[in-house]
Amino acid sequence: MLDERSHTLLQTDPMKIYRAKRDAAHLAVTSKYAILGFISSGTYGRVYKAQSVGSDSVMYAIKKFKPDKEGDVVTYTGISQSAIREIALNREISHENVVSLKEVILEDKSIYMVFDYAEHDFLQVIHHYSQTLRIQIQSQVLKSLIYQLLNGLVYLHSTHILHRDLKPANILITASGVVKIGDLGLARLIYQPLQPLFAGDKIVVTIWYRAPELLMGAKHYNKAIDCWAVGCVFAELASLRPIFKGEEAKLDSKKNVPFQRDQLLKIFEVLGTPDDKEWPGVRDMLEYQNMKRLDPYQNRLAEWCQSRIRSQQGHELLRQLFAYDPDKRLMAKEALMHRWFQEDPRPTWKSVAITPFISLLLCDANAGLIYTYTTVDSVFQYVPTHQLPPQRRITQDEAPSMMGVPAPTQPQTQPQVPAAHIHVQGQHLSQQSQANLSQQSKPGSTTSFASVSAGVGPTQGYTTGQGGTSRKKARIA
Amino acid sequence: MATDFWASSHYKRWIVDRVTLREARADDLQYVDDPEYFTYFSVFFANVITKLGKKLGFRQRVIATAIVFFRRFYLKNLYCETEPFIVIAACCYLAGKAEESPMHIKNVVAEARLFFSQQPYGVKSFPSDNSKLAEMEFYLVADLECDLTIFHPYRTLMALCEKESSGDLMTEAGEVGVCTDDGPRYWGTGEGQLELPDEALQLAWSIINDTYRSDLCLLYPPHLLAITALYLTLVLHGPTGDLIQQKSLPASSDSNSPRRSSRQASTSSLGSKRTPQDYIGFFAGLNVSMPLIATIAQEMIALYSIWERYREDVDSTTTQPLAGSPYSATTQGSSKRTLSDSRSGSHSRVGTPVEGMDEPRKAEEAGVITPALLLRVLTRMRETRLSDLVAHSGTGRPVAINKMLERTQAAG
Repeated sequence: MLDERSHTLLQTDPMKIYRAKRDAAHLAVTSKYAILGFISSGTYGRVYKAQSVGSDSVMYAIKKFKPDKEGDVVTYTGISQSAIREIALNREISHENVVSLKEVILEDKSIYMVFDYAEHDFLQVIHHYSQTLRIQIQSQVLKSLIYQLLNGLVYLHSTHILHRDLKPANILITASGVVKIGDLGLARLIYQPLQPLFAGDKIVVTIWYRAPELLMGAKHYNKAIDCWAVGCVFAELASLRPIFKGEEAKLDSKKNVPFQRDQLLKIFEVLGTPDDKEWPGVRDMLEYQNMKRLDPYQNRLAEWCQSRIRSQQGHELLRQLFAYDPDKRLMAKEALMHRWFQEDPRPTWKSVAITPFISLLLCDANAGLIYTYTTVDSVFQYVPTHQLPPQRRITQDEAPSMMGVPAPTQPQTQPQVPAAHIHVQGQHLSQQSQANLSQQSKPGSTTSFASVSAGVGPTQGYTTGQGGTSRKKARIA
Repeated sequence: MATDFWASSHYKRWIVDRVTLREARADDLQYVDDPEYFTYFSVFFANVITKLGKKLGFRQRVIATAIVFFRRFYLKNLYCETEPFIVIAACCYLAGKAEESPMHIKNVVAEARLFFSQQPYGVKSFPSDNSKLAEMEFYLVADLECDLTIFHPYRTLMALCEKESSGDLMTEAGEVGVCTDDGPRYWGTGEGQLELPDEALQLAWSIINDTYRSDLCLLYPPHLLAITALYLTLVLHGPTGDLIQQKSLPASSDSNSPRRSSRQASTSSLGSKRTPQDYIGFFAGLNVSMPLIATIAQEMIALYSIWERYREDVDSTTTQPLAGSPYSATTQGSSKRTLSDSRSGSHSRVGTPVEGMDEPRKAEEAGVITPALLLRVLTRMRETRLSDLVAHSGTGRPVAINKMLERTQAAG
């Protein structure tokens, strides 16, 4: 019935017809999107700015997962747990303060996730205020940013998702000023897990935003770790620098998780050494003995807040987000209801601007005053136009890329615009002088922060994945 | 999302009707003489997935997710154009990750290769190369439209039932792990629990296991399957049925008495004395369509009668063919047992000792469906399909195939 060749096909590659059919029906990424430029890269892969082809021409951010290689040959090695999580979670969620996934394209051994484009992020805003404007973030803007961040986090937590990597670089802001929580690459569901959370990822959350229970070696943790990170982000927005900027102790050769002495010290310097009364569980924690050996500190958060937050309620919110005991820490939902958001200036978020308007057309005696409502969403609603953060900078991609232009034929001819060059390589600005570290630049980052912020003061841009002070988080899947 | 089924991809995109199911099999139908084979394929492949899943050390929820992936894949693809065994391995590999119980790809390849090479499968062509499985996973994820979060009836069952004793059923069964916090239910009033004896709960669990041997998981929301399983349990489980009888007599004579909530009932039954519960009130309070539950129950019962003809253990050489399970490995304990197991012992399988090598053939002649028969049907389907594709080229040479191959190669 079958000739030899067909028979061999059934034996050696029985799925060949299936794949041929699927490949024939596939629409290529580049047929649907025009790639405009490169935005950033990380351990996961690279992010590009793109525009949909066709009449709508909407902007998107396309995250291309790094294809797996064996030597120089790109091959299939199985989709990583982190990509599976990010895809699975993003397909289910939908909220105005969480970045929205448009589609996923699997093509030629690579995975492309197409997200709505966001023009800004918290890190860029911090940089803009500290380096360009050189002023504090206005109270109303600060409050709006935190409010919308919490609003998104309440949603994630209500769906039993832990983000596990909240930090300024992962919190985006659209051109219209709406906050969007991004990067669910480390997020996961905690609803009835089949395995304890610890079994999957030994280390979660970038070191500066990592909650004390994680630093103390907790095997079980919960939503409270995200709330701690919100506290850190809040403090960073208020002071324009990371509040707990510790040095990460690296995994040893056996992949044992080390005691994060420096990070804990940075926390204790502001919040004081935790005692058994405020955090009864601390005595049972893995690193308790190590912690006991550290010098004792007094809590001086009030002092810290005085010049930076300038509101008793704001201080109170931060204090509650920084509760040592995870069970006493404010939950996202409670934080959203906090009195700080109810005192003036109010956050701009679904807040309603009411304009009285006398109805002349309706000759109804009962009509009287009619109000027109306009919803005010933008966190930058009351920021003068000249103070708005600039657009996200995109560059040509030097790495073998999806941009269609071979890298060598595309020299770096673009002018380097100071202060506009923000979100490259996950670099983080810092006002602390660390002149001993040379500036670093990786493919894709045409300049570093050090070079664009000349005249502002000694700054240091550092790159994830390299030595020195790094906020790299380990992804152990 | 973990709690809101109504906002899920599962509900919005993957609950299909029977017409869709029929259309999915339309092309396959040309290659079989009896459409009922597909019913048996469903049982057979679900069992293969279950067995492979057990070899990989998966909990029941992971296995169930793999089965749902497999069913969704064949909503869009043909048996006659694919190799189900590589699809099965990919479904298991992916389900492990989707359910946060990942298994290294080389373990999956090794286990699958070994397992599929054994009888009755005898699959010789399963690739030893990890990248082949990874490639299949890649295409699988695309066919699943990246919807990897699956809801299962087990959770509804556990939410609805209060355990009589805190036995190890739950942990063994795998649905409820370290539960850090409970979400609200996504249907009904969210209140009230039924107190069931462990045995009855296990029966309900087994009935749910059985639903995965059919397309029911594509047709109905999981909570309806769970409620139907509970309903069938109350009808089928002798001792529990007696309880209902006892209850219904006084209830009919005293219809004015206020309904007792099951929670009250449970607290009052802490001693050995057991207070009858209001089962009817419990179902009424669930706020689901009971006629629909009855319809699903009918479909389930119909499946059991169809499955009577299906036997997996005929060519086994073990000396205790009936103690085991025709549908699933039972080494893991009673909670993994299916209703069919408990029934089978007293039905067709009684008195079929091992009779020798030609036993499977004999069984087939008697109208029994065996894995060997199904595998022959499958091979014939795939060969005929391929020769049809070849013949359509008109020249007798496999032009159509060649074209496809060229295209594949061009695509890399």
